[in-house]
Amino acid sequence: MKVSLFTTCLGDLFYVDVLKDVTEVLERLGCEVDVPEGQVCCGQPAYNSGYAKDTKGPAKNMIRAFEHSDYIVCPSGSCATMFHEYPNFFADEPEWQEKAKNIADKTYEFTQFIVRVLGVVDVGAEYHARATLHTSCHMTRLLGEREAHYTLLKHVKGLDLVPLPNNYDCCGFGGTFSVKMFPISEQMVDEKIRHIEETDAEVVVGADASCLMNIGGRMKRLGRPIKVLHIAQILNSHQTEGAERHADESRKSTIL
Amino acid sequence: MPMKVGNRPFFEGVDKAIHDSFMVNAVSSAQDGLRGRKLSATIGDKALGDWEEWRSAGEEIRAHTLNNLDYYLKQLSDNFAARGGHVFFAETAEEARDYVKKVCKEKNAKHVVKAKSMVTEEISLNEALEEEGCEVLETDLAEFILQVDHDQPSHIVVPSVHKNRQQIRDAFKKLGYEGSDDPKELAGFARKTLRSKFLNADVGITGCNFAVADTGSICLVTNEGNANMVTSFPETQITVMGMERLVPTWKELDVVVSLLCRSSVGQRLTTYVTDITPKADQDAVDSPKDYHLVIVDAGRSNALGTDFQSALHCIRCAACINVCPVYRHIGGHAYGSIYPGPIGAVLSPILGGYEEYGKLPYASSLCAACSEACPVKIPLHKLLIRHREKYVEGGGHPPVMERAAMKGFSIGASSPMIFRAGTKMAPIILKPLVHDGSIPKGPGPMKPWTHGRDLPAPSKENFRDWFKKHKQQSATIQAKGTGESL
Amino acid sequence: MRGTIENRDSFLEKIAGKLNRTVGEVPEMPIWAHKPQERVYEDYSEDQLTAMMKKACESIHTTVCETNSDGLAEKLKQLIDKYGAGKIVATKDERFEAFGLSNVLENYQAYTWNYKEGHQNIDKAAEANIGLSICDVMLAESATAGLFNDKDKARSVSLLPETSIVIVPKSSIVPRLTQAMNLIENKVENGEDVSSYINFISGPSNSADIEMRLVVGVHGPIKVAYIIVSDL
Repeated sequence: MKVSLFTTCLGDLFYVDVLKDVTEVLERLGCEVDVPEGQVCCGQPAYNSGYAKDTKGPAKNMIRAFEHSDYIVCPSGSCATMFHEYPNFFADEPEWQEKAKNIADKTYEFTQFIVRVLGVVDVGAEYHARATLHTSCHMTRLLGEREAHYTLLKHVKGLDLVPLPNNYDCCGFGGTFSVKMFPISEQMVDEKIRHIEETDAEVVVGADASCLMNIGGRMKRLGRPIKVLHIAQILNSHQTEGAERHADESRKSTIL
Repeated sequence: MPMKVGNRPFFEGVDKAIHDSFMVNAVSSAQDGLRGRKLSATIGDKALGDWEEWRSAGEEIRAHTLNNLDYYLKQLSDNFAARGGHVFFAETAEEARDYVKKVCKEKNAKHVVKAKSMVTEEISLNEALEEEGCEVLETDLAEFILQVDHDQPSHIVVPSVHKNRQQIRDAFKKLGYEGSDDPKELAGFARKTLRSKFLNADVGITGCNFAVADTGSICLVTNEGNANMVTSFPETQITVMGMERLVPTWKELDVVVSLLCRSSVGQRLTTYVTDITPKADQDAVDSPKDYHLVIVDAGRSNALGTDFQSALHCIRCAACINVCPVYRHIGGHAYGSIYPGPIGAVLSPILGGYEEYGKLPYASSLCAACSEACPVKIPLHKLLIRHREKYVEGGGHPPVMERAAMKGFSIGASSPMIFRAGTKMAPIILKPLVHDGSIPKGPGPMKPWTHGRDLPAPSKENFRDWFKKHKQQSATIQAKGTGESL
Repeated sequence: MRGTIENRDSFLEKIAGKLNRTVGEVPEMPIWAHKPQERVYEDYSEDQLTAMMKKACESIHTTVCETNSDGLAEKLKQLIDKYGAGKIVATKDERFEAFGLSNVLENYQAYTWNYKEGHQNIDKAAEANIGLSICDVMLAESATAGLFNDKDKARSVSLLPETSIVIVPKSSIVPRLTQAMNLIENKVENGEDVSSYINFISGPSNSADIEMRLVVGVHGPIKVAYIIVSDL
């Protein structure tokens, strides 16, 4: 099965480790992964700020880059959701709208793809820790995928997954919101961290690097010792209890 | 009380709010409670059937009604007048105020009692009547408390959620209250104080949860009994209604009332669901003799025929307010409008313009909890984005730097070459800012981020480079395995 | 007697213009695609509805008991005594006599609403301890008493006294608001007159406006009780 990896701009800039883990998990599950050269950014920063015209260029670039893909898999629920929004941007350009629909139809978030398309619930991972899952807003509410991340984590050997109180409350990222409205955003991420600490988890896991950048960034500033990991990092983990947890030396980093 | 709350710039209001720990705790606690109750009464009530179907039913009804609003308003007014009621169509807040003043003057009204009504606050009705020498008493407990304390609502269903019992006791002391801060005692005081006021008032003023077009009826949805008092004992009844608050027949009333009660307070029905149809010639002793209906536009028609029309579907249940993570941390007053939270951020610019309310649509992380909660499926988060589009297209004044930055973003994000160069340069350029694996003080536009958070250090390794090598390694391993040469 | 309508033409023209319609253009009457309300409790028997109604009384702080027409008078007496008797008002409702309750009303010197006596009716209700009404429809889902008020079946009786006792003929029990609204809409379609004050009352008045703490009994009655009469 040929799968094109939608790396996301944040992935390319900050989370190369996660992209490596995503690649290896997909390959282990039998996929042939390619990385379309032309991709840059889905355009969310412009779109969410109201700059609809400035979103078209990045969107067209992505549509061109993924035109010939069979499946498009993305380790970010919000970016995958953007691809599903693309057909709406081109109501006045029918040719592009058609192309956008083709892209949207074959775009999946990473965990969604594994569970819904590959039909796999146990990827054979092992990671011993008490963990809690941050359920990203875009992935759950807008993409409509509320289960795949839980399903996959439940089958990770050694993982003690505990529910996160008030998981439905946004972490406060919201793209440019976290900058434009940073006093409110900080209150939101502080409440999120309070709830994470209530669980006594050593690790908080998420499927959207932007949320994790927000939570991890605040954790770092506050000096909290809780690890912030992308779900791909857990799913690509094979260590047995007590042993080192990294797939290779280069992936020592937690998300931040 | 006008639509505008306070006179503070938005960020000042936010700052005050996030430091008001009683208010923030009260709000988040109220949210948790109301959310839970709504869930139990909707998705959690298996007997109700498919909650999503109920939402679709609500959406259908509201959409049809708004699409044919002129027809149903005509029908409503014909039926109200046919039974002896007087209908006044008010295009502006001023027209509405003037009409109510005129009626009160004609009746020589000195004592007015009011049931809770957001639209009357929006049009500053109380002040207008007080200027004419009327005593205007709010009778809904929360509104009564706010009136006594010269305060403003912070939630559309539980307006005094930001006040604690001590503050309420202190407010009642101004009226001679000498009891404790026990809620039962405080409520008992309100009951005693207002009882004679109800029975002796000249005019009763209400809002309108839903009007029913095919009989000219007004439906009021309450818990306290004050709306029943207000609509029974004064000789003159005046109902002020936002023009969009109606349904075609009683059958649709069933759906919207059910949605409202369960979504706002988690009750199957509130204590009183009262349907009033004017009957000016009736002999009933405990009934008004004179009925007036003031139908208010005041900016609502700005949404008709536009992408924002669905904002007028709102049934004022506050379900969106109860799930909004932004409202959770800043409360109602910080929005600067009597309509706070997501519906407030959508409605306020429509009714009051971008000059005054343009920041509100930006006070959202677009988490879509509101859209998910709305019992009539208003796509609130999409309307917030639409407001932002209109704001930057000329409706408002986005910062010049922002527009330039977005242009730059558009160019950069459309060009794989520029981006690749960027990913290669970023680790080098930002190296001086990196401490202990992250960036605690961000460059220029990222300073607000790094006020409270570290930025990650850009990855030194390039993913595409790694992937190329990785692919070659896999091919080598495969070839070795099969014995083939590369 | 006709009322008046002011300012309508320009108001509606503006709206119609924005909606791309001609004012008053009759819309195609919708056939709603979604009608989940019609299926709620659709297969409940009368006994199941009664049981549901009794259960619902708990969460709305309402006392409920059941008897038959023979035992009604005695049951009512017991309830009146339980709530302290004292001054009592009743609506002017021929069903009181039909249900054999005239003696009870007399024995307790209950004041029966008489619109001809004007404002003193209200005074009587305001100083009464107990108000007696008979409901027209009972919504089982929420234990809601639907009262179709008029000049005789006065709304004050179920509003002003501290305690409201409502007699509920079992035959008046319907699943939920849907059936009551259908009933009313049928009257409308048949050109019948609809009560000008229909009150759906679910228990005593209450408020959670002070720190979200529920207080039972604000402006309306503080106590509510139902007597279900199983063979009426």
